[in-house]
Amino acid sequence: MKILIVEDEHALYESIFDYFTGEGNICEHAADFNTASEKIQLYSYDCILLDLGLPGGEGLDLLSQLKKSNKKDGVLIISARHSLDDRLSGLDLGADDYLVKPFHLSELKARVTAIVRRKNFDGDNVIKFNEINVDISAMNITVNNNPVTLTKKEFDLFVYFLSNKNKVVTKNAMAEHLWGDEMDLSDDFDFLYTHVKNLKKKLGEAGAKDYVKSVYGIGYKFTEA
Amino acid sequence: MKLSTRYNRVNILTSSIILIITGIIYYFFIHLILTNKLDKDLAVEEDEIRQYTRTYQKLPLPASYLDQQVSYRELPGNTNDIPEFSYTTYLNQEENDREPGRSLVTTVHLKGKNIQVTITKSRVESEDLVRVILLITLGVTLILLVSLFLINRFVLNRLWMPFYSTLKRMKSFEVTKIGEVSQDLTEIDEFIELNQSVNAMADRVKQDYRELKSFTDNASHEMMTPLAVINSKLDSLLQTESFTAQQGALLEDIYQATGRLARLHQSLLLLAKIENNLITDAQELDFKDLVESKVRQFQELFERDGLTVEVRLSNKTVIMSRYLADIVLNNLFSNAVRHNLRDGRIVIALSKTALVISNTGKNVNDTGRLFDRFSKSPESEGMGLGLAITKQVCNLYGYHINYEQMNGMHQFSIFFDPES
Repeated sequence: MKILIVEDEHALYESIFDYFTGEGNICEHAADFNTASEKIQLYSYDCILLDLGLPGGEGLDLLSQLKKSNKKDGVLIISARHSLDDRLSGLDLGADDYLVKPFHLSELKARVTAIVRRKNFDGDNVIKFNEINVDISAMNITVNNNPVTLTKKEFDLFVYFLSNKNKVVTKNAMAEHLWGDEMDLSDDFDFLYTHVKNLKKKLGEAGAKDYVKSVYGIGYKFTEA
Repeated sequence: MKLSTRYNRVNILTSSIILIITGIIYYFFIHLILTNKLDKDLAVEEDEIRQYTRTYQKLPLPASYLDQQVSYRELPGNTNDIPEFSYTTYLNQEENDREPGRSLVTTVHLKGKNIQVTITKSRVESEDLVRVILLITLGVTLILLVSLFLINRFVLNRLWMPFYSTLKRMKSFEVTKIGEVSQDLTEIDEFIELNQSVNAMADRVKQDYRELKSFTDNASHEMMTPLAVINSKLDSLLQTESFTAQQGALLEDIYQATGRLARLHQSLLLLAKIENNLITDAQELDFKDLVESKVRQFQELFERDGLTVEVRLSNKTVIMSRYLADIVLNNLFSNAVRHNLRDGRIVIALSKTALVISNTGKNVNDTGRLFDRFSKSPESEGMGLGLAITKQVCNLYGYHINYEQMNGMHQFSIFFDPES
């Protein structure tokens, strides 16, 4: 994926950059309005991560600029403004998604992957991972052509893991992804354990290797190694 | 009472009173003047009779006067000479009926005899005159009152039109909408001034709104950015090298604290927004649908604690922000789970009038400060803002939220229409 990160907070940009780089992903950076505007005009990206408050201009203006020049770049707004107006006008202007700061990098990655997947959708929306085939639109998984029956949450969880391959994902981030961050969940995420356990069991029974590892009791890592 | 009605009432009442008083005074004065004139005529007659008597030494013939009758009567002895006026009746011989009259009784001396002379004149003409004048006065009064009424009704209403249109615009004024309150053209100075003040006020309100909004936006931005940095750095840190279990526990604690800080901050901003009425996306919502999907969303949490959930919903639509409705349900549901017992029970009932959520739980003694900010039970993991926010949302939409403890159940009820 080719990604443009439009973010003026350097520390935040660095983290996103580190998290996204690798696995054939290319990240570019724009720290202010003009640089971003220039890059958007000159190049095409699979996804643009757009901060709204930028030095030199409004992020939403970049969005309308992009749409005016008929570009097909995916846009994910990342903003600290939890204002409904902004969220609505952003989505109205053609943004694909809206993520409020602070967010988990794993959540960001999952959303970006989903956007890029939707953009590049060409008939079959299937992700292959070794012996596992995931059909996103039909919501089913096969292992070595054996169908695996998963619940909606288990399926979402697996796609989430796939989007964050080789990364440690915290239970906190997983819970927020599956149940929404407005739910005011307690800090006890033990109920997640059941879902992970069921997922691992179902995949294992279908003949998949155990890719999901528990990490320091704080989260999980989906990895081949 | 409408301004024009009030004005009409006062105006017509005073006009009527003044006109009636004027009429009465008018009547009496004309009456007095006419009577005076009759009296003068009578006095002239008396004079003529005296001169005639003195010159010819006999009384003039009674019949020789038009519209007046003269009669003589011999009086024995002395009498005083003072002439006396009085109201009498006048016998009209031609028409042979009685008319009101005015008499002068006086005495003349003829050949040593005292003769009482009574001169009577008909008052019918003067009475007629008074009547005509009275009728004209009454007619004018009526016409005046009617025209006053019509003027008040039509002209006043037209005159006040700019006022009512300004009022209408003020009623439909919304702080989030752009555009002036009043643009009506009028030539009346007062209304021009009113329009100007209303517009100035609306501008001020909008300005305040914008400032408040940008303040909350900026505050949110400024505080969320460092939190976002902390969170992302933690995520990055987690990816580096393998940690010991102890380091993992430390990291988890930091994660949780950061998460709480973010939630706390969002809750406080939300409270400020609700209080300042900055959430304006009220729309018609199928509340039953919302509650149902919320029950599904909480399913895992219910199962985790082995809670039995009983749901009784009837159709209900509400006009509120979807975002706020979601928050209210989240808070009430989280509460019902968080403060429940192991293998406890939750009853969710939605009717046309109220949403009632009750749950089993430990006894709570101090419930007075339940809806206050940062008030929470010692064992609660929450921030103590959930119920405060819920209450604020209810206030915003005119709902009433109530807490009761009955039969070992904690029961929260939201009444959608507390008036009825």
